[in-house]
Amino acid sequence: MTNGTSGSEVFENLKLELRRGCLIVAVLAQLRAEQYGYTLRKALADDGLEIDEGTLYPLLRRLETQGLLASEWREQDKRNKRFYRLSPNGETILRQLLEEWERINTSLNKILQEASL
Amino acid sequence: MRNVMSNSPSSPMSKPTSPQSTELIDRYLQAVRFWLPRGQGQEDLIAELGEDLHSQVEDKEAGLGHPLDKTETAAILKRCGSPMMVAARLGPQRHLIGPALFPIYLFVLKMVLFWILIPVFVFIVGPANVANSGGNWGLAVASTIGQLWSGLFIAAGIITLVFAIIERTNTQLGTEIRWDPLKLPPVRKEKENGKLSRLKAACEFGFNIFGLIWLLLVPYYPFLILGPAAAFLKAGPLLHTFYLPFVLLSVVALFRSGITLARPNWGWFPPLSQLAQSVLMLILLHYMIQDITRAPGAFPFVVLADAVRDSAKYLKVVAIVNVSLLISVAATWLGLCIATVIQTWEFLRYLRKRGSPPRGIVSLILR
Repeated sequence: MTNGTSGSEVFENLKLELRRGCLIVAVLAQLRAEQYGYTLRKALADDGLEIDEGTLYPLLRRLETQGLLASEWREQDKRNKRFYRLSPNGETILRQLLEEWERINTSLNKILQEASL
Repeated sequence: MRNVMSNSPSSPMSKPTSPQSTELIDRYLQAVRFWLPRGQGQEDLIAELGEDLHSQVEDKEAGLGHPLDKTETAAILKRCGSPMMVAARLGPQRHLIGPALFPIYLFVLKMVLFWILIPVFVFIVGPANVANSGGNWGLAVASTIGQLWSGLFIAAGIITLVFAIIERTNTQLGTEIRWDPLKLPPVRKEKENGKLSRLKAACEFGFNIFGLIWLLLVPYYPFLILGPAAAFLKAGPLLHTFYLPFVLLSVVALFRSGITLARPNWGWFPPLSQLAQSVLMLILLHYMIQDITRAPGAFPFVVLADAVRDSAKYLKVVAIVNVSLLISVAATWLGLCIATVIQTWEFLRYLRKRGSPPRGIVSLILR
């Protein structure tokens, strides 16, 4: 590769870019049911989307600041946990994002089919 | 949007099964807290990270069927990352100069450092230091480099500070409002990969042949350089001393233009050889000026011809011609300094561009 960037490095960077937007949709979709950080991470990982603490918690904080999530500290199993769920505004935004996702997916499928002809 | 559920935990760190794990996690959280910026969200983030780590330990203990020891807990923390790295990811993204301002910052920095500060030091401060050094060139050059170094740091620091203030105060530069596509400059025509055109190379080669022949004939036909004044003037010791180096330099120039003409695909050769030739010329002129300034009057360019040696009326003419030639040499030296800076810049630009496709190809790819 040129400029000293290896192929795997380029792929990792592009994969990160691709994942970034998808993760937001995935997190919002998972939080239609209330969860706390660790169970949310586990649920995403079980569905094939691994996410580390350093990525998830700032994302949750940002989505909450944007009014898409609501959170509450509550005691469960003798420990304080912060529970998140989708806010009414978050539900609207999630619906719009999913529609956009569908549109992009359809376009991409069309482009890929045309390219394979 | 209003956050209807948010409130902070009273005790963020609850205890997992193993005291050893708790102690290690608390130490880890303390280290992360150190690197996190203080503020409203710091304790929340620490509490949430702590809860996550305790849950991981709990899960692992449930799987293994026994409390985790220090090594097993350390493996979980190790996977999580170093405290400084985790804090950097958890904390707010911070920058001194944001992506919107950064291109303008870089442009201003380059302009001030490379096109104002360095030329000022090379052409004004440097010569002034040399003039005041009493002939000690080494000391003058070292002093100029030292002053330039400090100047670069101070200028870069001030520019960075100004842009950081603009960034912090969110000052609008108005570029979005003033921008008009119709006022964009026309597309520049660029030479492909630094190759000279064949015509230009051929002209240069012809000119160099002519120049060399002219230089070789000058000792036999002084009027070629002195014109009608050859009747009462002849070359002085200075011209005799530097004649051969100038002939050699002309031969180098002839070879250079010949190779450029014969090997048009050597894109690297014209800028590099031109730079080398300018540097050689600079060195030659430097020694010439040094000889003149070391003992003024001892090394004149021209002297009176033998036939008119005793004629007092020509002595003034000789002095005028020598001073004029000295000014011409000094002006050439200054011009060559500027040319060398530009040629160095062009050569570096050539090296940078060598790996990238020409602009025409870029626009074709984008289409």
